[in-house]
Amino acid sequence: MTDLIDGNAAADVVVPSVDAAPDSQTVGWRHRHLLDVDELSTADLDLVMRTTDAMREVLARPIAKVPALRGRNVTILFYEASTRTRVSFEVAARNLSADVTNIAAQTSSVSKGESLVDTIRTVEALGARMLVMRHAVSGAPYLAAEVFGGSVLNGGDGWHAHPTQALLDLYTMRSRLSGGSVAGRKIVILGDVLHSRVARSNIWALTAAGADLWLCGPTTLLRGFEAWAGRGAAGGRRFHVTADVDRALRDADVVMALRIQRERMSSGLLPSLREYAARYGLTAARLALAQPGALVMHPGPMNEGVEIAPEVAAGAQSVITDQVTNGVAVRMAMLYLLAGVSAAGAAP
Amino acid sequence: MTDLDLARAWLVDPASGREGPGDIVVRDGIIEAVTWLEGIDAEGIDAAGVVVAPGFIDLHAHLREPGNEDAETIASGLAAAAHGGFTTVCAMPNTSPAIDEPGVVAGIRAAAIVSGSPLELLVHGAVTVGREGGTLAPLGELADAGVAGFSDDGAPIRSGSILRNALAYAGALGLPVIDHAEDPDLTDGAEANDGLVATVLGLRGWPVAAEEAAVGRDLAILADVVRDVPSARLHLTHVSTGASLDLIRRAKSAGLPVTCDVTPHHLALTDDWIAGSRRWAWEASVDPWDVAAREAAPYASSLRVNPPLRCPEDALACLAAVADGTANAIATDHAPHTEVDKAVEFGLAANGISGIETALGVVLAAVDAGHLTLLRAIEALTSGPAAVLADRSRRARSVGLLEGSPADLVVVDRADSWTVTRERLASKGKNSPLIGMSMPGRVLLTMAGGRIAYEAPSD
Repeated sequence: MTDLIDGNAAADVVVPSVDAAPDSQTVGWRHRHLLDVDELSTADLDLVMRTTDAMREVLARPIAKVPALRGRNVTILFYEASTRTRVSFEVAARNLSADVTNIAAQTSSVSKGESLVDTIRTVEALGARMLVMRHAVSGAPYLAAEVFGGSVLNGGDGWHAHPTQALLDLYTMRSRLSGGSVAGRKIVILGDVLHSRVARSNIWALTAAGADLWLCGPTTLLRGFEAWAGRGAAGGRRFHVTADVDRALRDADVVMALRIQRERMSSGLLPSLREYAARYGLTAARLALAQPGALVMHPGPMNEGVEIAPEVAAGAQSVITDQVTNGVAVRMAMLYLLAGVSAAGAAP
Repeated sequence: MTDLDLARAWLVDPASGREGPGDIVVRDGIIEAVTWLEGIDAEGIDAAGVVVAPGFIDLHAHLREPGNEDAETIASGLAAAAHGGFTTVCAMPNTSPAIDEPGVVAGIRAAAIVSGSPLELLVHGAVTVGREGGTLAPLGELADAGVAGFSDDGAPIRSGSILRNALAYAGALGLPVIDHAEDPDLTDGAEANDGLVATVLGLRGWPVAAEEAAVGRDLAILADVVRDVPSARLHLTHVSTGASLDLIRRAKSAGLPVTCDVTPHHLALTDDWIAGSRRWAWEASVDPWDVAAREAAPYASSLRVNPPLRCPEDALACLAAVADGTANAIATDHAPHTEVDKAVEFGLAANGISGIETALGVVLAAVDAGHLTLLRAIEALTSGPAAVLADRSRRARSVGLLEGSPADLVVVDRADSWTVTRERLASKGKNSPLIGMSMPGRVLLTMAGGRIAYEAPSD
């Protein structure tokens, strides 16, 4: 059993018996949707971590499958190309014995096809009880949640949020850091923060868990974050923003590199990938500034040789494949917890 | 014809700078008597009860006809205006086709007549053909057809040389060029005011600099033109930032012929609303990231508007600009849209707020909070915009509670309030972020040209 975030009392948390059908009443989960991490209290985060522990146990079984969501339809509606996240949700849902429907949709502001609202109503009429959604427009899952009768899980919306990624990142750090906690640990998110839903969700998750969080990248890709850092996340939880990569990495316990996309060059935010790799790429030399044994993470997919050197990505300090496995466990946990609320017909 | 006997009301007459207790009598649509009460006769009458003011003038409204009658028609737009207390409305030319030749003006006039509305409908013509920014529209022919000004609103006049020529040409016609000041390079793909809310919500930032750079450019070009054409006039519409208003304030004190308006939403709503706040700009803000303090779901597409809702400091600067006269007018930028265009993701939603029916309530909320006097607020809705229209409006020549002129007035019960609902909005555009909220002050009666344009149901 892992330690608690912010030292909450362990005795209050009921660890769910994940072999049985979910029941929100017994485990104390109250959210109908997972739209972002900002909605989760530290107690909620702790419950997610404990439920994920239980799911890791399931994944370690010879037959990694429980009947918890048997007969329940989970629809995976992706408006953006993604293999990793979609497959991770699909595997998670199947491991819980859910029926899975996959929909790859198109959206455009120019060629108006079916509206999101109509699509949501249609998939609900087709039997969807839980909806995993990815969308290129920030906030789209909030619109879906207004329309959909079941639970919406945000699988990534625009630049805004990717809550299951932040939860799996938190879980991975806690399981790998000595002491099992990120409290007081220096964690660096390095790269294109401006366009990153992973960075935004991690700001909520990691500050809530008491981490010493640093965001680092070229100033063009940090626009606006200094003001956010100064104000702090909810409850005034501060974090740091710097364009000085050496300062950010010095004595870090965890370094997470973010993907750099080519269109950042055409929009004038960066001179070139080469210059980015030289000045901000996570190389072995830069990693040496961090604590010995500091964890190396990446939400994927990677551009090796750009934001992360291949030998660092595949090195001994890398926990990138752990992130992938934990992603399945965290998504199982979230489907399980939300299903308990859906079943009880609770308020959003 | 119409008669009205209103005794012991609070009369507000910005044209004469006067407000106070009084009686007003309308006979056959003509204001027969305005009697200001004093001494013992005035006792017990105050500005918190029934208020009578000249009918409001909106410099900036999108009536969508021709081309997008699903969103609004001349008839529905004028009905909405009357419900909001307006008796003169200027239709913006970003229709389909654009109002860039006299035939379109005539079609709109005809639609207004067919609607039977007694409101005065004025029309702004396009600055460039098709509002495409390329070549000048036939400004002289449009002036002959009676347009009140020229604007490519919805988009800025991108070319500085086109703006310069338009100001000079329109100046000789005695008409203002009305610019939507925006540097489109800085707003490419922008979704929300570039600030904390956009950063946290992952929305593409819409910097204040995009407006301020354009305002600075426009003023520099105006200064250049007036040396040659002293009658050139520039009106900047829906100004939304404190720095823009500072530039305009300075230009006015230097004697440049510039006027401007601000919208009700930019002086009272803020980008915090997109994060789920529903507090006026002047109220103490709560942390919108405190989920427990959220008053509404985030990303309401009814809040997507161009220019975007700004931070509280900019909203308060808009209020201060109305108070000190830097903003000549409050204009609604009424922008009705269909569900198809608005019931979508925030970033895909059309820009605009359906606001002509809630303008008075929002302004009265600012008055109630002590940020504007009632007299100045009414002035910014009546004689302020009338001065921008100069002699193009019959109202502009006679705005006020004038004995012997046709009744153009609004009667408001400030002791009452109303809740905004889709059903109560006469506009076809239900895209109001105020739906579900209570608005102070209820319009009891709107008279235009001596006829009843709106009368509150007697429930």
